[in-house]
Amino acid sequence: MSELILEAKHVTKKYPASGGRTLIANNDINLSIYKGRTLGIVGESGCGKSTFMRMAISLETPTEGDILFHGKSILGLKGEELRQHRQNIQMVFQDPTAAFNPKMKIMDIICEPLLNFKRIKKSEKEEVARKYLELVELPGDFAKRYPHNMSGGQRQRVGIARALTLEPEIILCDEATSALDVSVQKNIIELLVKLQKEKDIAFGFICHDMALVQSFAHQVAVMYLGNIVEVLPGSSVAEDSKHPYTQALIGSIFDLNMDFSKPIESIDSEAPSPLDVPVGCPFQNRCDRCKEICKKERPTLKKVAENHQVACHLYQEVEG
Amino acid sequence: MSIQDVSITYGKNPAPTVEGVNLEMKQGEIVSIVGESGSGKSTVIRAVLGCLPGGGYVSKGDIQFEGKSLLGYSQEEWRKLRGTEISMIFQDSGAMINPIRRIGAQYVEYIRTHEKMSKKDAWDKGVEMLEKMRLPSGDNIMRSYPFQLSGGMRQRVGIAMAMTFQPKLLLGDEPTSALDVTTQAQIVRQMMELRDQYNTSIIVVTHNIGVAAYMADKIIVMKNGRVVDAGDREQILHHPSDAYTKNLLESVPAMGGYRFV
Ligand SMILES: Nc1ncnc2c1ncn2[C@@H]1O[C@H](COP(=O)(O)OP(=O)(O)OP(=O)(O)O)[C@@H](O)[C@H]1O
Ligand SMILES: Nc1ncnc2c1ncn2[C@@H]1O[C@H](COP(=O)(O)OP(=O)(O)O)[C@@H](O)[C@H]1O
Ligand code: SF4
Ligand SMILES: [Mg+2]
Ligand SMILES: [Mg+2]
Repeated sequence: MSELILEAKHVTKKYPASGGRTLIANNDINLSIYKGRTLGIVGESGCGKSTFMRMAISLETPTEGDILFHGKSILGLKGEELRQHRQNIQMVFQDPTAAFNPKMKIMDIICEPLLNFKRIKKSEKEEVARKYLELVELPGDFAKRYPHNMSGGQRQRVGIARALTLEPEIILCDEATSALDVSVQKNIIELLVKLQKEKDIAFGFICHDMALVQSFAHQVAVMYLGNIVEVLPGSSVAEDSKHPYTQALIGSIFDLNMDFSKPIESIDSEAPSPLDVPVGCPFQNRCDRCKEICKKERPTLKKVAENHQVACHLYQEVEG
Repeated sequence: MSIQDVSITYGKNPAPTVEGVNLEMKQGEIVSIVGESGSGKSTVIRAVLGCLPGGGYVSKGDIQFEGKSLLGYSQEEWRKLRGTEISMIFQDSGAMINPIRRIGAQYVEYIRTHEKMSKKDAWDKGVEMLEKMRLPSGDNIMRSYPFQLSGGMRQRVGIAMAMTFQPKLLLGDEPTSALDVTTQAQIVRQMMELRDQYNTSIIVVTHNIGVAAYMADKIIVMKNGRVVDAGDREQILHHPSDAYTKNLLESVPAMGGYRFV
């Protein structure tokens, strides 16, 4: 196993909601990010994926629990210490159009983090920008363009180039390919995988497309209503997933090799509001294998195989 | 419905944004349009509904519905046709619905602009349609504000409204893109049921090739303002003629398929 870089321990995030109620956006999350590996996080919108990422990059603080970077808590970091720490973890967003200042040239966008940390001089901007553009397989001449003169896929590459400049150990991508058509999406994934191999970068990749995530993540975490319900290797998702929710997600995928004459499977009901998470298993009202105990006791993550954990009363812990 | 060698131009642009689109559709047929982002998919279906934004217009060719050209239609004629004969579902129906008015008030008003009916009858009609879309308690939904519903529920309200007058042609612009996979599957199932029950023809624009393939009798592939491939589902999936189509099909991630690592 490669080196552990980031570790979330029993992380819970609560937000105050109307009427004195509390919204639990993340509940007792335990996740690890390893050097040179990709952790995929999948789940429906509102399940708490972005909340987790915001805590990992220190934009928000957990209500409970701890986040360790190389074994040291990052929760107490303030001021200059925090600013320096931010160089270690960079972020790529879903919609680069919204994330970039439209009046800035591409070279200014790419070099902004480097200038902020005084790692380069203003006069070196263009040269450095060209280097990073070429790294993400864009023409160096794009340095002088503005973001609106580029396609969505090209802007997404600029976002990746910018995230790479500080040579972070971890890059977190929040729905970074969701707005792109599949052929552009595939190019971006190939690029990420290549950069990962060259530079040993760890990726956290949030996405709601299970088929995409399992195709390149080393480990996949499935999230439902703020809880991690299953963690397993990307290569096992297709064959060995165990949690009824993971299986429902897989059953809802429209695959080109599916039998088009058969009705698509899907759970019929809606997820409960995150304000009304039931006692017991969060998935109980949509689960067709729900038992008595599921309504009373919240299942915890249990190891069912090597690198594979499931939170469901149907499965027993294995030893070792 | 037939689209004959249509080009579409936006405002004062010298060159058309979309060129040479052809499509013949029979009643009860489903056609999917897939392709590159910015290739003109939304432009084509907006032209069919006669609502191109930004001074867009059909600069060449003809669009006919039941043998009659739609191009010369007056505002008044469009108003009669839209909603009753041809309807549209958008990516986020929630954004179309006024957020500060209850669903019921908007639905009743919508029905009454198209058909003379008492408020009470329009309300009942709304409830009936919502329940047909498998929304649990239609009456409750009518009394709700849009923000009280989930994205999937709002999308179903949008479809219910679009289907109120059993249009012959339903247009969907990325109707499931904003939804989660489980909700997407429900909505796709319901659109297919519309065809089975009412023989509705459907044109759906989507970047999910799997959804396109599942729903469609015919598939149209667009790139850069042009149709690069068109044909029935089997033909496009198994014998694509264009390199871009092949590339698109090969790029669709599959469970247990190619792994990048
Ligand atoms: N109102 C407008 N005025 C001028 N040009 C426009 C207008 N709307 C769209 N365009 C241009 O027309 C082309 C086709 O746009 P369209 O929205 O039809 O693409 P699309 O295939 O639906 O793309 P996507 O998959 O991203 O939704 C694009 O180049 C776009 O920039
Ligand atoms: N700043 C906030 N204040 C209150 N509630 C929030 C805030 N951010 C997120 N939430 C709520 O937390 C839940 C998880 O949201 P989010 O992490 O954005 O989900 P995802 O990224 O998985 O779609 C949602 O119910 C959302 O409404
Ligand atoms: S714990 Fe029970 S309700 Fe929850 S997923 Fe497992 S079987 Fe279903
Ligand atoms: Mg999010
Ligand atoms: Mg569009």
